[in-house]
Amino acid sequence: MKKIPVSMTVNDDEVDIYVPAHWTLLDVLREELELTGAKEGCGEGVCGSCTVLMDGHPVRSCLTLAAEARGARVLTVEGLGGPGMELDPLQQAFIEKGAVQCGFCTPGMLMTAKALLDSKPEATEQEVREAISGNICRCTGYAKIVEAILDASHKSET
Amino acid sequence: MDKEFTYIGKRVPRVDSLSRVTGEAVFAADLKLPRMLVGKVKRSHVAHARIVRVDTSKAERLRGVKAVVTGRDTAGVKWGVFRYTQDMEFLPRDKVRYFGEEIAAVAAVDEDTALEALELIEVELEELPAVFTPLDAMASEGPWIHDEYPNNVNVHVEINVGDVEKGFEESYLVREDTFTAAEDDYFMGEPFAVVARFDDGGNLEMWTPNAGPHMKAKPLSNALRMPLNKVRVRKIAIGGAFGGRSEISPADYICALLARKSARPVKLIYTREENTVNVRMGHALITTIKTGVDREGRVLARDITCYMDGGAYSSTGPIATSVPFLCMEQAYRMENVRYNGYRIFTNKPVRGMIRMHGRSFACGVDLQLDRLGEELGIDPVTMRLRNARKAGETTPTGSVVSSCGLTECIEKAAEKIEWRKKYGNLPPWRGIGIGINSVQTGFPLGIRGGSQAFIKFNEDGGVTLNSGVVDNGQGNDQMLVQVVAEELGLPLEDVNLITADTELTANDPGSYSMVSTFAGGNAARLAAIDAREKLFRIAAEALEANPADLVLKDRKIFVAGSPDRFLPLTKVVRMGLIQGRPVSGEGHFAPKVDHRREWVSNPHGQLSEAFSFGATVAEVEVDPDTGQVRVLEVAAAQDCGFAINPMVVEGQFEGSVAMGGQGGMLTEYHFWDGGRCMNPTQLEYKVPLAADMPRIHPIIVESNDPGGPYGAKEAGMSIAMSAAQAYASAIADAIGVTITDFPMTPDKILEAIEKRRQEERK
Ligand code: FES
Ligand code: FES
Repeated sequence: MKKIPVSMTVNDDEVDIYVPAHWTLLDVLREELELTGAKEGCGEGVCGSCTVLMDGHPVRSCLTLAAEARGARVLTVEGLGGPGMELDPLQQAFIEKGAVQCGFCTPGMLMTAKALLDSKPEATEQEVREAISGNICRCTGYAKIVEAILDASHKSET
Repeated sequence: MDKEFTYIGKRVPRVDSLSRVTGEAVFAADLKLPRMLVGKVKRSHVAHARIVRVDTSKAERLRGVKAVVTGRDTAGVKWGVFRYTQDMEFLPRDKVRYFGEEIAAVAAVDEDTALEALELIEVELEELPAVFTPLDAMASEGPWIHDEYPNNVNVHVEINVGDVEKGFEESYLVREDTFTAAEDDYFMGEPFAVVARFDDGGNLEMWTPNAGPHMKAKPLSNALRMPLNKVRVRKIAIGGAFGGRSEISPADYICALLARKSARPVKLIYTREENTVNVRMGHALITTIKTGVDREGRVLARDITCYMDGGAYSSTGPIATSVPFLCMEQAYRMENVRYNGYRIFTNKPVRGMIRMHGRSFACGVDLQLDRLGEELGIDPVTMRLRNARKAGETTPTGSVVSSCGLTECIEKAAEKIEWRKKYGNLPPWRGIGIGINSVQTGFPLGIRGGSQAFIKFNEDGGVTLNSGVVDNGQGNDQMLVQVVAEELGLPLEDVNLITADTELTANDPGSYSMVSTFAGGNAARLAAIDAREKLFRIAAEALEANPADLVLKDRKIFVAGSPDRFLPLTKVVRMGLIQGRPVSGEGHFAPKVDHRREWVSNPHGQLSEAFSFGATVAEVEVDPDTGQVRVLEVAAAQDCGFAINPMVVEGQFEGSVAMGGQGGMLTEYHFWDGGRCMNPTQLEYKVPLAADMPRIHPIIVESNDPGGPYGAKEAGMSIAMSAAQAYASAIADAIGVTITDFPMTPDKILEAIEKRRQEERK
């Protein structure tokens, strides 16, 4: 199998690896780097559970070839906050507002929300709903997710 | 509730959310074990065929392939939820019965090799005539899908209570309508994935999404011919279930078989398409309902016949055939009622229980009630109130309803959306509707006992709760932690869990039939009380007080009324250790049901100890040019008994409105080419998105069930169902036509509007 070199930054770590040419960014994250926060819910770009940020923009890592991510700064949910780091206000709000049920959609949802609030810190409810409409959640009906994102945006304002 | 609680009834964040927001929670697909192989399944490309030959020799020779299995590697054990429905081989030897059924499987060093190996497996099939609808299946002259079931009739449930004919005779008005619905599906966030390995003691360890680990271990031990105590289904994060994780999956078995043959760990992850076709899906239904009412709209007689498309195997057939009726007999008073439910085999994927089980059934009952009311000049809310179930009554099949807040649910939901003001007064193309429903809180499957829990104290006063309860995402772990923390006066973080592991935890009925809080919560509560009593006995001696006068709060044991007479909990735990009477707790609980009741042979007696009730009111606006429905507002009221955590309960309501109403009534259905599902992924099976969702008002109604822990029953299911009914009712109100085929997609709405216009022109 033909392998290609891929260099990128993932959550502040420099990564230099060889991976099969057909691998996606999601394959690299999950299989090679063992960052399993990004999930594969569909593998065809519909569900959003694999969303990560590439140079600040949300991408579907299941549709992004590893080769396309060369030289990029990739941020996954593991880099957003967690053990040894402070939680991002979004993560905090998701916990407090009950926005997490099974949690399978959560990492992707958080990354999409992060990109939104980074570019639009005072997003309206409508903007939040539209922004996360590429992320499917089957458990929550979205009510508490929207509430959590709005809550995080208000907190970062103050 | 007269007692002041610290955690119970409070909106406390879930303890398991942290690992989900950081990405640390481990789902089955996230697991990686040393030398782990990748498993893949070879599937049938026809709907019905005899298996003539499966040649795996080429695949076996491919470099990197470590095991190949076919029906020849199995012991031929058939799976069925009941003894009388054992009809499914996990790797069939003789016949395939639906497009996509398992024929063989491989384990290889990587995915590419595994996929290549599948291509090298030669399968020769002799195609048989296939049937794809219940009516064709019954009319078919054979060959039957299963030889033992003539005319492909899998299950017939017959219930006949009172005098239906007399009821119709006495009725002022009688209507008969037929309602149909296509298959709906779970689309849980997580596609199915399983990891299996044999440890150095020959024990099978398995990580797999489940709705009850013990319910997987048993069939695995049967099929693999190994002792139950050597099958260890482990705890793992689970990405949603909604009824779709209730049974053993053929892939659980296949993965174990591959692990055994290759002597290496194997991970098998389903594609989204496999998760749809090879797990379970909802039944398609044809439901004919005849209802007679008196002048005041009270139902005097009802006769229902339902044909359910069951797909290729029995699965939960007897339950699935009964539940749509049982929900309605719980929600509505009916003295004279007849039900004939038929589950029919077809050459399609297997159907199981789903959150909104039997939408054409429940929506049909409610829509028909609306039409009867219209003819009588009685509005839908009044029609519901006149027929709604009340506490203390007995259902037609003999279940006593100990607690019921249905009337309050109806009134509160209606009030929230201003029903009285709006009904009949909305502008054109706007409509308002209501649905009501009821679900069981645990019913016996004929094989299941209750739940058992143990509590162990650590020296620092923290505890570990051991319970078989599984969390599919609904918050069962949180429920257990809140219960134990409350009873033992501990902070939430001092309660650790060992749950849902068949080696470590005792039997539990699983999370199906909405029983976790009722059975598992009660067991945990009793275990905590047991431990507390032991603590109090030790503390009472030291404090020279009566154990009955002690209270446990904030990690201290007090003499009630004297705040300075106390001992720290840690100290009492240590005293127990020193005195040779270490503190532990045990609790068990089994719901009181009539064990003579059987789904088909004896559908009478107490079905479930408690029932939840829900009423949903929805207001919609229909665009007459596009047929699009915009849902403006939804009020969802449920009698959940008691909300142990209102925030979690609301989350269940909101998710239920999305799945039952928004998705279930507007967009969700499968379409087919013969036996092949044409929309197996979310690309073309449309689940609701954030921008689609209306504002939802969750309304918690508490009837405090005498048997439930703190009065709790279940949360959300009767909302999923009543939301579907409310959506159907509101759309009918908006367009002035009753659509009888679900979901109500824009094409059906436009057609209905057009028909109405033509009729008006005449
Ligand atoms: S897995 Fe990438 S969008 Fe679904
Ligand atoms: S929380 Fe389960 S899919 Fe979103």
